Amino acid sequence: MEPNTPRRAGLMLVSPLMLVLLLVFIAPVLMMLPLSLREYVAGTGISDRWTLVNYTQILTDDYYREVVVRTLQLGFGVTLICLLLGYPLAYYMARTTPRIRFALTMLVIFPMLLNLVVRSFGWIALLANRGLVNNLLIDLGLLERPIKLMFNLTGLLLGMSHIFLPFMVLMLVPTIQAIPRDVQAAAYTLSASRPRVFWSVTLPLSAPGILAGSILVFVLTISALVTPRMLGGPTYKVMATLIYDDFLQTLDWPSGAALSFTLTAMTLVIIGLSSRLAKRWGGQS
Amino acid sequence: MPHLTLEALEKRYADHTAVSSVSLAIRDGEFVSLLGPSGCGKTTILRMVAGLIAPTSGRISIDDRDVTQLPVNRRNIGLVFQSYALFPHMTVFENVAFGLRRQRVEGQALKERVDEALASVRLAGLGERYPRQLSGGQQQRVAVARSIAPRPAILLFDEPLSNLDAALRDEMQFELKRLQREVGITTLFVTHDQGEALSMSDRVCVMAHGVVQQFATPEEIYRRPATGFVASFIGRPNRLRGKLLQIGGDTQVELGQGLRLPVAGAPVLPAGSAVDVVLRQEDLRLAGPQTAGHPGRVMLRSFVGARVQYVVAMDGGPELIVEAPSSGPDAELAPGQGARVAIDPRHVYVNAVG
Amino acid sequence: MKLDDKPGWGLATVSVAIIAFLQVPVLVVVLAAFSKTAYLTIPPKGLTLHWFEVVLTDSDYLGAAWTSLWLAVSATAGSTVLGLAAAYALHRRMVRGAEFLTSVVMAPLVLPSVVLGVALLQYYTLTGLRGFTVGLWLAHVVITVPYVVRACLTALASVDPSLEDAAHVLGADGRTAFRLVTLPLIKPGLVAGGLFGFITSLDNVPVTVFLLSASQNTLPVKIFTSVEQGVDPSIAAVSTLLIAVTGVALVLAERWTGFHKYV
Repeated sequence: MEPNTPRRAGLMLVSPLMLVLLLVFIAPVLMMLPLSLREYVAGTGISDRWTLVNYTQILTDDYYREVVVRTLQLGFGVTLICLLLGYPLAYYMARTTPRIRFALTMLVIFPMLLNLVVRSFGWIALLANRGLVNNLLIDLGLLERPIKLMFNLTGLLLGMSHIFLPFMVLMLVPTIQAIPRDVQAAAYTLSASRPRVFWSVTLPLSAPGILAGSILVFVLTISALVTPRMLGGPTYKVMATLIYDDFLQTLDWPSGAALSFTLTAMTLVIIGLSSRLAKRWGGQS
Repeated sequence: MPHLTLEALEKRYADHTAVSSVSLAIRDGEFVSLLGPSGCGKTTILRMVAGLIAPTSGRISIDDRDVTQLPVNRRNIGLVFQSYALFPHMTVFENVAFGLRRQRVEGQALKERVDEALASVRLAGLGERYPRQLSGGQQQRVAVARSIAPRPAILLFDEPLSNLDAALRDEMQFELKRLQREVGITTLFVTHDQGEALSMSDRVCVMAHGVVQQFATPEEIYRRPATGFVASFIGRPNRLRGKLLQIGGDTQVELGQGLRLPVAGAPVLPAGSAVDVVLRQEDLRLAGPQTAGHPGRVMLRSFVGARVQYVVAMDGGPELIVEAPSSGPDAELAPGQGARVAIDPRHVYVNAVG
Repeated sequence: MKLDDKPGWGLATVSVAIIAFLQVPVLVVVLAAFSKTAYLTIPPKGLTLHWFEVVLTDSDYLGAAWTSLWLAVSATAGSTVLGLAAAYALHRRMVRGAEFLTSVVMAPLVLPSVVLGVALLQYYTLTGLRGFTVGLWLAHVVITVPYVVRACLTALASVDPSLEDAAHVLGADGRTAFRLVTLPLIKPGLVAGGLFGFITSLDNVPVTVFLLSASQNTLPVKIFTSVEQGVDPSIAAVSTLLIAVTGVALVLAERWTGFHKYV
């Protein structure tokens, strides 16, 4: 309530940042739109003609369809694994003593802060044909030759679940903490069994956190570049790595641009749907 | 020449008017309370005087100087907030010194002024503590010390005692009044507590719905409330609905099923109108059965310490709450007993409904 | 049947296992950095500091590390200044459409990084900024400023608004009131936001990889592209050094600011 503060001061404080965002964020993204509608001719480059083929090929061309489907599979798979692993850990953290919770929080945050490339490299060291897992299993006599854990869906699922698990956990803990303990206690006194109480009381009450965590992990997974590239190699592609190749290897910028907008649209749709859901459930997203 | 003048001060918001054309002239050294229920506009007025809210129209003058357009930090006023607003990251000393530093007071002179301010609120020696280490009452005193240290022209209080428990509040009322007398600073005090306002002020401005209801000394407000609102807000009221009657040349009001009370003064409304009637508990006198007074029967007796309250069912309808001092002759009436209630026609406050 | 909801031993064991799972790749990297052989075994066939020596004397690695560092520092400095100013104005609703503007500032968090990277590649190529340091700096400001603004908004929300009013009444103008009252109180949040932004910049690949010129490199991009040429323990050594630096930074950040509240 400070009407004596001129609006001028507010504008002066906000404009520098808004100017930067306009010039280095909004403008570039908008300018990629016409690029995505241009035709690309292999060998000669970007022609002057307008076309929608960059978008239509995503739906019609088998190769592109496969990449998109794989990206979505990865998204759902990673989200599911993160939920299955993350919920028990989050529950424990939410209900334990503050000291233990603090220690565990630090242990969850630490890998999150580590360089993404380093973490992905760690998985390479684990999953490669001459990596730790294969060497260990061969030394123990359980395997004769290494199994292919990289450059396929398995490797990506493992690696990315590990990368994004902390996000899921950190979103779930506050939600579970917010469930009043006496709600559970009340359910017990009504002679419900433990599994029953979990399914009909605890789980529904953690729904907002589950939704928020799942959306976050899903969006991060389908947008990811580094881990899929490092663990999937140049041939096993997802949408983000395909965009990478389009812009830096094949130089088919129009196609890359169209893919970029498609990926962005997918992200926005998912976030939009989830916040509608969250509102319906009366939770926060 | 008045020290603080408010002329036709208005504050209009998109959906309602908080303050409607308020004009007040406050004398140098006077302690004035702005009293009213929440939403009556008293805090808005205070914040306009401070400069934290800009008035929609009107003028604020200090010593005949128009300060309406002056920014907050140049008005030379002190403000004690309801939440105290002590700077949590500064010691008590630094809090009190803050205003002085802005006035370029430094070194030895600064120390002396801060010590002087702390001594005047009886907090000498606590300079190195942090606000969180102090009790609510102590924090309150620091807030006061901080406000008076820079020797402002006007001192404003925004319901400063409402967060204190009752005993502390009573004590602080005397402290603040004593301090104000010593320092002699013109003070505007916002409160919703009538007891506070009446006991501390030289004059009281009663407000409701953004409008001044009455601006007078506490005794005037109490004994001669100017409007129905003031009558029902000050003191402990019985609020009743009645009908205004004109019998012979006398104005009367009929309550319940036939209790008729003569009303002093000329009627403002036509005979037969429905009216709101206020009879204050402390205005009604219990009389012995042989004396004059309206007859009734005691239904309930409550001992409240210094006084006793009775619920008396009057013949002819309404129940009235009547007080008597607990050390007096009427303190021991039992339920079921007959009694007479004397009602002075000057204390029958009649107003239009609404 | 246990009636309280304190977690039992089963849950505790599972939780410990999951926490261990989270740390495993980190431990593997550290192990590989000290291992004599180029491939990993348990137990390792020998320990050595050789790879660290290689890395710390390699001018390419050192150059990339240096670039990463000054880029992160300068971008964080920029986004702190711009972000704090904007956050203050947005928090106090000093401009119209504060909510809309706040979502614009947060938008870089929602857009996939790779999309921003390629968009900037095209944009810088068109505007001639490609390969110039200022372009890199601007891009990093854009990706770090959301964290700074978010932390600042959180911190500002927890400060009693009447404190600044009180400062004004006591004679302080807008700038002085901010400097003496609000700023000290939001410092922990501001630092936490800055740290988070710093780490984001240091870490970044999806935007940076598209904008580097042939002569520039940052550490994470160098590791990223080296891996395609084959796994080499010196990568593990670099990674271990980064792990050590991050670990120390986390401990310090928690000590100084209670970091975990603002993440």
